Amino acid sequence: MKIIKQAIAGTLESSDLQVKVSPSPDDTLEIILSSEVIKQFGQQIRRVVDETLSKLQLTAGIIIIEDKGALDCAIRARLQTAVLRGAQCEELNWEQLS
Amino acid sequence: MTLRRSMLFLPGANAAMLSTAFVYKPDSIMFDLEDAVSLREKDAARLLVFHALQNPMYRGIETVVRINPLSTPFGLKDLEAAVRAGVDVVRLPKTDSAADVHQLEAEVERIERAAGREVGSTRLMAAIESASGVINAVSIATSSPRLIGIALAGFDYVMDMQTERGDGTELFYARCAVLHAARAAGIDAFDVVYPDVNDEAGFLKEVELIRRLGFNGKSLINPRQIELLHQAYAPSKEDVDYARRVIAAAEAAERDGLGVIALNGKMIDAPIVNHARRTLQRADATGIRQ
Amino acid sequence: MSDDLEFDTIQPGLHARELAEVRCLLAACQLELDANIDVFVTVRRQGQLIACAGLSGNIIKCVAIDAPWRGAALSLQLVNEIVQLAAERGHFHLFLYTRPENQRFFSSCGFYPLVEVPGHVVLMENTPVGISHYCQRLRMLRQPSNKTGCIVMNANPFTLGHRYLAEQAAAACDWLHVFVVREDVSFFPYADRYVLVAQGLSGIPNLTVHHGSEYMISRATFPSYFLKDKGIVDSCHTAIDLLLFRQYIAPALGISHRFIGTEPFCPVTNKYNEDMKYWLQQAEAKASAIEVVEIARQMRDGLPISASQVRRLLAQQDFSAIRPLVPVSTLQLLLSNYAEPEAERYG
Repeated sequence: MKIIKQAIAGTLESSDLQVKVSPSPDDTLEIILSSEVIKQFGQQIRRVVDETLSKLQLTAGIIIIEDKGALDCAIRARLQTAVLRGAQCEELNWEQLS
Repeated sequence: MTLRRSMLFLPGANAAMLSTAFVYKPDSIMFDLEDAVSLREKDAARLLVFHALQNPMYRGIETVVRINPLSTPFGLKDLEAAVRAGVDVVRLPKTDSAADVHQLEAEVERIERAAGREVGSTRLMAAIESASGVINAVSIATSSPRLIGIALAGFDYVMDMQTERGDGTELFYARCAVLHAARAAGIDAFDVVYPDVNDEAGFLKEVELIRRLGFNGKSLINPRQIELLHQAYAPSKEDVDYARRVIAAAEAAERDGLGVIALNGKMIDAPIVNHARRTLQRADATGIRQ
Repeated sequence: MSDDLEFDTIQPGLHARELAEVRCLLAACQLELDANIDVFVTVRRQGQLIACAGLSGNIIKCVAIDAPWRGAALSLQLVNEIVQLAAERGHFHLFLYTRPENQRFFSSCGFYPLVEVPGHVVLMENTPVGISHYCQRLRMLRQPSNKTGCIVMNANPFTLGHRYLAEQAAAACDWLHVFVVREDVSFFPYADRYVLVAQGLSGIPNLTVHHGSEYMISRATFPSYFLKDKGIVDSCHTAIDLLLFRQYIAPALGISHRFIGTEPFCPVTNKYNEDMKYWLQQAEAKASAIEVVEIARQMRDGLPISASQVRRLLAQQDFSAIRPLVPVSTLQLLLSNYAEPEAERYG
């Protein structure tokens, strides 16, 4: 899966996160993560992000994540929503989303 | 016997609410993918609810998902998400006939099989939101063994009836019809949302009415209403004392192998015993009404 | 659960009454109603307008929140709504002008500062990697050079005057970078302007032609540039544009000199040139100074060659007068795309 158009999902309210995706000019995958709790939970968030994106088999795109203390379930959901919007994927493959 | 006094509505697109609502302790939580979610956020809400349902924080509470009607581009995808995530009950909006329930049932079974979920484990709830729905309430209520209850949805019903929400007169017949259908089918009946979250007195007045009518519970949109509702549904001391005596008599009759239960010289039959059990169940849940 | 807040959108052209309320709210917050807003997000409580935010293309402006409601969840919701609205309209990369004291609030809404005119205004964008990614790409086009120059031209259309300026600048430097203003609001569309620049400058060996960007004389960074006809000048805008150049673009390419033609006609361009000398050379900034070099325009028949003159002659379809002012490539485009068919003669 590749990001082919810009898309956005989520909000910057407390306990949520905003994910912005855009196509990669050089076909690589770049993830930029900023979080209010980056010190305590940065590693864990990163793990959830990597896991979610690899299940989606995302190979290219620029993913900007601004976390406001969201739970793992919200991180997964917002990431998947943004990526599916950006890859213009209409069909849901539930194995990739679980 | 599952207590379903309070069903808290949560807008499915609100990540903050989904992450924190478990602290309120309603009997059920309903994740709404329908009216509370704007068109542009339908996909986002679906995934939020899909993942929230699988989070341990909701393990102890009965979960319900209100999907979009199956006639919309969203309904079927919502259903896939809800069933696959292990929701307890799927709420079908705008149920007008038994056929609507059968259609839902067929899809649910298909998804259960595809996802490896125990067939029959997903329960259903029908929402009556129109004149037709009210007229067909009995056939709807008896249409499927998966149904745990039917709910009356006030806003859409009142519009279909070409009137507006007021003192309850406009809901009178619908409430009675839905209640009777539920009782005849042996399932739960749920009353409408009380929309004015600041009017506590009005809310309590409505709760008293529907409790007397016999509704099992009510849909809520504000966590503040949960405790108020539970208190209103709590039995009085007299009710509890009587219930205890009924249960004691029933247990004694069973121990002694008697076919008939007697209390104060009167015969106590099954409905009275069941009622006593429900009373004690409510007392356990909230304590005695103050 | 703020159920008592109503969010709505209004369009200035259609909703006069609501717009009047917005104007009042803005005035109460010491803001003027910008004339170029495409759409507003409004927030009402019990019918009363308490907050608004405007969108002009991909620029967020006129954000006002009634005092008692500031600092609450409402502010965040408002920005969220305007960002969502912009996304629906196809704008994902957003810019924002605000007073420096509001920078922290917008930072918590996902905006990142670009440049600040101290005490006046700060320009922000809604991504942490906008300008940095852009500069990364620019750095790849750096050339080994001791003296690197730059020209930024609109070239509306490209004339021999532009060619002359570039030749002079290239002769004075080891390498010259030429940027074409990207914003598509001039008479000649960007696509044409860029092609004419590339063709018109061919043969100069130590030169790179760059596509313009949102970070250089765009509606986002320098709106009044495009209002030259109205003679409107806003010194804050020139400062923003020039500081962006000095702090980000010039360092990425190692540019030490900026070349401009003298400006006899247009007061806006003239002011811009004067501001350039201040902001690139004198003002205190986080980056080294850039030397501004003014080169006298090439003359023809006693007049400096200018694009506005060519446009005037084009309106008169006077191609013989245009011919000596532009290179062949420009003339060819004008003849093939902009020549009107001969009118039928009657009588």
